[in-house]
Amino acid sequence: MHTLAQILTPGRTLCRVSGGSKKRLFETIAKLIGDDQLSLPANEVFTQLIAREKLGSTGLGKGIAIPHCRINNCTQPLGCLLTLDEPIDFDAPDGDPVDLLFVLLVPDEAHQQHLDILSHIASLFSQEAFCSALRQAEDTTSLFQIATNWAA
Amino acid sequence: MIDESYQLILVSAFLGLVSIALLGLSRRLGAPSLLLFLLVGMLAGEDGLGGLQFSDVETAFLVGNIALAVILLDGGLRTHISSFRVGLKPALTLATLGVIITSGTVGAAAAWVLGWPLQDGLLLGAIIGSTDAAAVFALLNAAGLQLKQRSSATLEIESGTNDPMAIFLTIALVTLLTSGDGSVDLHILGDFFRQMGLGALMGIGGGWLLQQILNRIILPHVLYPLLVMSGGLTIFSLTNLWQGSGFLAIYLIGLVVANRPMNHIHEVRWLHDGLAWLSQIGMFLLLGLLVSPSGLLDPKVAIPALAVSLTLMFFARPLAVFICLLPFRFPAREQFFISWVGLKGAVPIILALFPYLYGMEHKDTYFEITFFVVLLSLCLQGWTIAPLARSLGLEVPPKPEDIDHLGVTLPGQIGRELLAYRIHAGSPADSYLLRRLPIPSGVKLLGVIRGDTVLPPEPDRLLQPDDYLVLMAQSHHSPDLVALFMALPTPAHLLGTAFFGQFTLRPEVLLDDLCKAYGVSLSDDLRRQSLSELINKHYHGKPVVGDRVNVGDIELVVKQMAKGKLLQVGLKLPVVKQQAAS
Repeated sequence: MHTLAQILTPGRTLCRVSGGSKKRLFETIAKLIGDDQLSLPANEVFTQLIAREKLGSTGLGKGIAIPHCRINNCTQPLGCLLTLDEPIDFDAPDGDPVDLLFVLLVPDEAHQQHLDILSHIASLFSQEAFCSALRQAEDTTSLFQIATNWAA
Repeated sequence: MIDESYQLILVSAFLGLVSIALLGLSRRLGAPSLLLFLLVGMLAGEDGLGGLQFSDVETAFLVGNIALAVILLDGGLRTHISSFRVGLKPALTLATLGVIITSGTVGAAAAWVLGWPLQDGLLLGAIIGSTDAAAVFALLNAAGLQLKQRSSATLEIESGTNDPMAIFLTIALVTLLTSGDGSVDLHILGDFFRQMGLGALMGIGGGWLLQQILNRIILPHVLYPLLVMSGGLTIFSLTNLWQGSGFLAIYLIGLVVANRPMNHIHEVRWLHDGLAWLSQIGMFLLLGLLVSPSGLLDPKVAIPALAVSLTLMFFARPLAVFICLLPFRFPAREQFFISWVGLKGAVPIILALFPYLYGMEHKDTYFEITFFVVLLSLCLQGWTIAPLARSLGLEVPPKPEDIDHLGVTLPGQIGRELLAYRIHAGSPADSYLLRRLPIPSGVKLLGVIRGDTVLPPEPDRLLQPDDYLVLMAQSHHSPDLVALFMALPTPAHLLGTAFFGQFTLRPEVLLDDLCKAYGVSLSDDLRRQSLSELINKHYHGKPVVGDRVNVGDIELVVKQMAKGKLLQVGLKLPVVKQQAAS
């Protein structure tokens, strides 16, 4: 099982960034990933994430969202963790604005693996203790530490 | 005389006391409460510990009629008009054609088993042919069971509306058998339409009238439910006196009153819940007293009765359900469940009193066999309903309206209420900031009660367990609203995400896009439809919350509906096996 430590890096962790709008936030994420992974162009990441969002918001409720998509040229699953300084409107099913996000990108061909990781991450982010610990992190380093050292 | 009165009060109160005290025990055993009341009555009776002699058929008939009317009124008050979308047509088919098929099949079998003429057998069939509202409502509610709407709506409406048919068949056959010439003429059909037509008319008209009165006059609060009850019983008896079906009328009164904007609906539901319990306890105790248990064990009764019961449960009812639901194409497991929940209760026992009232041949046999059938049905079917529903996967997360809250109707403002909800630990509203609470429009937050203090509704106020949130809302808004305050259901498989899936999709999304996003392979002609089309096709245009369709490894779950349209579809990912390494 992939734990967060295997798919998350400090470079793809952002603490208390300013979200702006949902679109603005996705641009930030796409740029972050594009800069981190040169094989993945930011506009491709942006397009795919937005395409998934059109099927229905990836918000889970209670201010948490897990945007995810499959992506070409991606060699292994990549995660990206963000907390926001101000919650933003995310069309979540409970209507609650979002301030905690985990973005998941998976290779195009690995669909079974995709579903397994996604399911694992969704259940991790449904634990209230985990989410409130992440929200309390004040800087990127501690956010990354908390996320990757969480047992379970 | 004075002593006798007090003795009578003592006996009835004591039996009630015992029944209620034992209720906790029966719940723990999963036994139907109705069975308990019958058994207490039988124990108190002539063959039991109490040794009470009771054989007053006319009193039993009177009490039974009042009690049934009150129970049906309560049943109507609990039926939501929204359940008509999936339940009305199947239920009405079961309540009419279904009763005829069940009664006819079991009646013919009974005639053969008992060596009776066919007509006598058919009378027995008519007596035990209907599904009992009291038993169904009580069992489904007592088990704390929220079923898929397709099954629950069908069963509730069926059991609320099929008594008139059974009563009609019974009375028609009794008249036929006692009139001597044995001929059937056409005016029996006229009688039928008169019963149903007048019942429907009086019920809907009377309900409307009652609702108008309730919204216009000002009374102490506790009197509104009593007004509904006395109004309902007035119309019930008038309808019966005019040869209409009073049972149909009083069920419809409840339905109309509860489904129109009305003041004091909480008080009305609350008190009727209690009255329905009282009626059940009283009626079943009395019917338990009336029977002689030793008569039931006589092989001359027990053997044919067993044969009749088994025919009813395993052949007649399933056959009727299969034929009646054919045009509605219910999923097989729901048909199976509906067949099994053909519970019998007080109605057959009360109908079995007719042969006594008319002094017919075999009158004891009718009564004893009927009693036997009811007991066996309550034991076998009643006891197994909840586990069966669970194992067939028909249970859905509890509906918002089941939650407890305080509601006060503002005087003079129809449909506006002051509500207070307790914040349960782990409910959706727990640990919410007030400004983030997704309350429906038209709802106004008034404050938070925490311990002894009242806190103003400031946007940054964090809700804590055991707070009370006070707000003002239109009463018809409450179902959306109270979803926020529901305590989480205990069984883990009914938790929101475990049941509906982690993500929520829009129903108009094309399958093609879904398949692309998750790399699911699917044939081209399927890909062109939307999720909503796929689900509607799968469930023949009548999906209900909790219905599921598999697309590759992904499961689509109907999450929210309104007015027959899908609003949200849950996306459930395959469960990952826990590995030691993770």
